[in-house]
Amino acid sequence: MTEQIALEVKDLHVAYGDKRVVQDVSLKFPARQITAMIGASGSGKSTVLRSLNRMNDDLATVTGMINFHGFNINQPNVNVYRVRQQIGMVFQQPTPFPLSIYENVIYGLRLAGERDRQVLDQRVEESLRQAALWDEVKDQLKESALALSGGQQQRLCIARTLAVRPEIILMDEPTSALDPVSTSQIEDTLVQLKEQFTIIMVTHNMQQASRSADWTAFMHQGRLVEFGPTSQIFMNPQEEQTADYLSGKFG
Amino acid sequence: MRAEKVDKIATAVVLSLAGLVGLLIISFLGYLLVVGLPNVSWHFLFSPAESFKSGGGIRDQLFNSLYLVVLTMLVSVPLALCAAIYLSEYAPQNRLTATLRLAIEVLSSLPSVVIGLFGYLVFVLQFGLDFSLLAGALALTILNLPLLTRSCEDALQQVPQLQRQAGLGLGMSKWRVTTKIVLPAALSGIITGAILSAGRIFGEAAALIYTAGQSSPAISYTDWNPFSPTSFLNPLRPAETLAVHIWKVNSEGLVPDARAVSNGSAAVLIITILAFNLLARLVGYLIKRRLAK
Repeated sequence: MTEQIALEVKDLHVAYGDKRVVQDVSLKFPARQITAMIGASGSGKSTVLRSLNRMNDDLATVTGMINFHGFNINQPNVNVYRVRQQIGMVFQQPTPFPLSIYENVIYGLRLAGERDRQVLDQRVEESLRQAALWDEVKDQLKESALALSGGQQQRLCIARTLAVRPEIILMDEPTSALDPVSTSQIEDTLVQLKEQFTIIMVTHNMQQASRSADWTAFMHQGRLVEFGPTSQIFMNPQEEQTADYLSGKFG
Repeated sequence: MRAEKVDKIATAVVLSLAGLVGLLIISFLGYLLVVGLPNVSWHFLFSPAESFKSGGGIRDQLFNSLYLVVLTMLVSVPLALCAAIYLSEYAPQNRLTATLRLAIEVLSSLPSVVIGLFGYLVFVLQFGLDFSLLAGALALTILNLPLLTRSCEDALQQVPQLQRQAGLGLGMSKWRVTTKIVLPAALSGIITGAILSAGRIFGEAAALIYTAGQSSPAISYTDWNPFSPTSFLNPLRPAETLAVHIWKVNSEGLVPDARAVSNGSAAVLIITILAFNLLARLVGYLIKRRLAK
């Protein structure tokens, strides 16, 4: 592979207490591409995703290496807050804060101590444009984010994540709570975002993976079964389990 | 057919029992107000109590009750809030925190008379606070802490887990998430809980008889120096509260109009507690509305 690698996972094991949920996963996520992680419920794909920016810290024991710019971020002395600013996350449900649209977008920036009004204004516009929400909300930036529709709220959450300028965006089933129109808007957004960001997305929706992802990883029962270009995984899977899952024999 | 009949009977039984409870409470409240309100006048509210003559008021007792609530809240809200934040946001699920929760549970069902005697032994005698507002406030804090901690914890738990995750996902520290996201969202519930608990301790008597005392020495409302023994603000003066006053007038009152005084006091007490409850709702509603804007 000549692809540039944004994040490399090596021998990742995750356990909740005594229960092992992810075993021996090794993966290289290509930079500025969309990688979809698919698999049945309980296959461990969300757990892997949440381990990538240490969101599992309090819940699970994560062992193995997660290399980011040649540095293993899965070490106790790593500043997880800095990690999460570099590797942002968007969740299943839209999670706007009960503030104005504007304040939501710059939340992370304010936190980092940015005060310059011009910088903030500019970043709000830029992030909302990137999340394809600017045209819909540019006249109501001071209004509550809670008044937006579910799809708009989710794009707002994407904008909020973009505003801190992460390198990688993790998405945990970002459209599972949305209607088909909002879903396709978000998918279009993702395709534009990959020019600048690396996107790693967990999805239950096979069409979504085949439509938007460049790479697909199939997980089953805590193990990585197959990883490759999306077209190859869907058209010509190398493993029987992958073929069975894609044809709906289980899942 | 049979299931339908059973359903009808069950509904009728539940409804009539609920009605009975409602009727009991309303007639009790109604009785208190009907018998008590005619004794309440501006004179009654704003003149000091008499020891032997009739025509005394409840000015000092009413003020003492309110002041004691303020003092108690000053001590108990920060403690309860910190405990609730720990339990809700930080506490791991282990035997130690389970024990802690059990202790809070047990403390919440401790009879207030026991708390009063404990306060007498520890605050009044051991700490040398004598019968004082401060000793009373500390006793009421013990009474108040478990329920207030619980209501604060509930308010914090009401904040969706996703909001916390969203904050963490942006790179916020746990403390930041707690103070910037969870606390503001839980504020309405916390304040409502605090005001409701204020109403509860406002009517407390048993825990105060041996801590805040049963006497009301003459106090001056123009003396703003809290260290002066006659100042109304002095937390170290003994202070009979309204609820204690009702108990005392009834049990050993020497005034000829003891009945009228205690009936009037009871009505004032009930109305004040009602006001606390309405205030709690109003504040909760206003904060929610401001957040939704």
